[in-house]
Amino acid sequence: MSRSVPVIHVRDLRKTFGKVRALDGLDLSVRPGEVHGFLGPNGSGKSTTIRILLGLIRATAGRVELFGADPWREAAGLHGRLAYVAGDVALWPGLTGGQCLDVLGATHGGVDRRRRDDLIARFDLDPAKRIRDYSKGNRQKVALVAALAAEAELLILDEPTSGLDPLMEQAFQQCVRERREDGVTVLLSSHILGEVEALADRVSIIRRGRAVTTGSLAELRRHTRTSVHAVTIAEPEGLAGAPGVADCVCERADGRVDARFTIDAEHLDAAIGRLHAARIHTLTVTPPSLDALFLHAYGETLDARETGETLAEATR
Amino acid sequence: MSAGAGTADPRRPRLNTMAGIVWRTQRRTILVWVAALAAGMIGTAAAVAGLYDTPAEIHTYAEAVTSGSALAAINGAVEGIDSLGGVIQDEFGFLASFLLPLLGITLIAGSTRREEESGRLETILGGRIARHQPALAALTVATAAILATAVLFAAGLVLEGVPVSGAILYSAALGALAFVFAGFAALLAQLVLHARGVYTWSLIGLAAAYVLRGIGDTTGTGLVWLSPLGWAEKTAPFGDQRWWVLALPAVAGLVMGGAAVWLAARRDLGSALLRGGAGPAGATRVRRGPIGFAAWIHGPATAGWLSGGILLTAMMGALARPFLDAMAGNPALGRAMGVAAGRPLDGFVAATQLYLAVIAAGYVIQAIGALRTEEADGRLATRLAGTLSRNRWLAAHGAVIAAGLLLIVVGSSLVLALTTAWSVGNTDETGAIMAAGLAYLPAELVLAGLALALFGRWPRAFALTWAAYAAATFIALLGPGLDLARWVLDLAPTTHVGSPPVGTAQAGSLTALSLVAAVLIMAGFTAFHRRDTS
Repeated sequence: MSRSVPVIHVRDLRKTFGKVRALDGLDLSVRPGEVHGFLGPNGSGKSTTIRILLGLIRATAGRVELFGADPWREAAGLHGRLAYVAGDVALWPGLTGGQCLDVLGATHGGVDRRRRDDLIARFDLDPAKRIRDYSKGNRQKVALVAALAAEAELLILDEPTSGLDPLMEQAFQQCVRERREDGVTVLLSSHILGEVEALADRVSIIRRGRAVTTGSLAELRRHTRTSVHAVTIAEPEGLAGAPGVADCVCERADGRVDARFTIDAEHLDAAIGRLHAARIHTLTVTPPSLDALFLHAYGETLDARETGETLAEATR
Repeated sequence: MSAGAGTADPRRPRLNTMAGIVWRTQRRTILVWVAALAAGMIGTAAAVAGLYDTPAEIHTYAEAVTSGSALAAINGAVEGIDSLGGVIQDEFGFLASFLLPLLGITLIAGSTRREEESGRLETILGGRIARHQPALAALTVATAAILATAVLFAAGLVLEGVPVSGAILYSAALGALAFVFAGFAALLAQLVLHARGVYTWSLIGLAAAYVLRGIGDTTGTGLVWLSPLGWAEKTAPFGDQRWWVLALPAVAGLVMGGAAVWLAARRDLGSALLRGGAGPAGATRVRRGPIGFAAWIHGPATAGWLSGGILLTAMMGALARPFLDAMAGNPALGRAMGVAAGRPLDGFVAATQLYLAVIAAGYVIQAIGALRTEEADGRLATRLAGTLSRNRWLAAHGAVIAAGLLLIVVGSSLVLALTTAWSVGNTDETGAIMAAGLAYLPAELVLAGLALALFGRWPRAFALTWAAYAAATFIALLGPGLDLARWVLDLAPTTHVGSPPVGTAQAGSLTALSLVAAVLIMAGFTAFHRRDTS
């Protein structure tokens, strides 16, 4: 497969369940070798999109290509090239973790036994324990180990770290990075911004069945603002009126000046110059987080009634 | 990319892989079913062969049975009953009508819609398994299990001295019966949203098949040919041996199974033709309380078992008159059924009440099993996380289940009383019918107590309750006819009731049963209060 052909190509995808419109003209493109973050709140259509990509459900309208083929018609053949972790991991309560890994492994195109054993150790998993005796997080780990150990060209991960503790989340992120270095493409669906921020090369944000925005983190960040917090000895001159500066608050405290403002990335240099002239004591510059990005992307389509809901989701 | 597996084309979807997964995840259920069914059927055959070991005895049995249409309604009209095979077919007629279809239904429901409902199928289909393959693999594995059961049964029959061709045809007919219902369940699994719905609709289909066959056999009409149970009967393995009839269940099963596979390839995962609509946005005051909530949980199962009880008693009550006429013409029938001369109607009611007791006991065990499901699925923890105490939770469910039991016993007995009165033209039997129904309550509560004790003490071993239920049912229904040893008969709680109204229900025995039930129930409560919940 040539590097230019996208692994996943979705155009104007629509899916309705009875009267409910789950997807309403979604576009999504995932390039070979990238980790693509797929962000959106609960019920925005992430899992529906993934199920269509896997050929588990059929698109009502629109174009879907997985490895350049139709996933509905060639589902099983294409699945030999990918591994999938479902959002709600359900396994057989009577089987042990190791047995489940074997059963899941049988459905994959091939399993790297050495990587599997290594992953079991890294995720601190006891393969002799029965699934019903595992905690939710440990069941999640079984599904993750099965997918990461598979000989796959594409990993489709639907909210893969729900239930994992922060330490295991770190281990997971490291494993995904290693798979990417092996040339594996990853579609990472999540509503946890930190996770996507730590892993993704490019991000698509989806809301109500449509992609709101797509791009690399740098591209997306260009549209948002950097926060600056500085403590200076003297009062910085003309800061409030400087080009690109907004939300400027300067306060005197302990004989120094405490300044907070936000700024466009392109005007950062000039603003820092003004701070420098006032003699910097401490300086913190925070690039826009995905949280801000999320809110920014949403803000364009947001009506006032929804603001609270989206904020609550975004800050999760 | 290096291939991990050494096969020629590891990426091609393979049915073996899926069949292997079905086997790996279901094998315990499959082995238990096949072993229990084969053992039960071969055991029955052996007991019959031991009991009817001369042509004269077989002839007497045949004479007795063929003269009563009521027996034909229950066990089916057996062609060639004047042979060892015929007697076995007749003795096993009632249980086989339910057990073999249940084999097909259970194996399919457990590996299709239940897997889809739980979300496990989504993970499987995320691998190189085509959408139609889980249904196809489930049917393949179920068919193999059915085949194994039939082969074991045929071998057992031949060992007991049944002619080879008859043994093979009879086993094949029973296997084909299971296969039809496997196909039916597979089709339903594509159409309804929950595994529970697959069971419900399959059992409704089975009940309809049973009634059709019963009416057909008693009236001698072609209705028999509309029922899969009738097809099994019409192969006449110990009579004319119509091998071609096997084609009917084979084609029906293949068509339904094929339709299931066809649908599975074409529908969305998680979709269903029949699904519930939206519900109310809030719970009523009644449902918020522990009793009301428990009633909501047990309601559908109660209604299902009650319908089964009413169906049985209505059918039997309606047949009371034809039965009495048959008895008047043939005293040997009374002896065959163990009915005292001179009180044939009492004997008829006693037999019916025993079947009703089996239904009622099945209800309580399933209802208590539902508590285990609540716990295993994590809903119990949610219930107990509030101010509701464990004992109140269990007591509320106990009260609702007891009320359901009473409803099933009294309601079905009432239907039996009414239909019997309508059939024979007087209400003389009404009191005896109601009293007999109530007399079985302590025996039913003993099994309820066993279920509750296991739930309280060893919840993971709850399946043992069903094993005990199966054994008790086998002993209760077939034990007396097969002349099993006294101590074996005594293992079934119903034996101690004394078969009212033809026998007398001894107050002492009933008290003893009640005490055993009370001790078991208390043990269940105490153990549940102390143990960890999961």
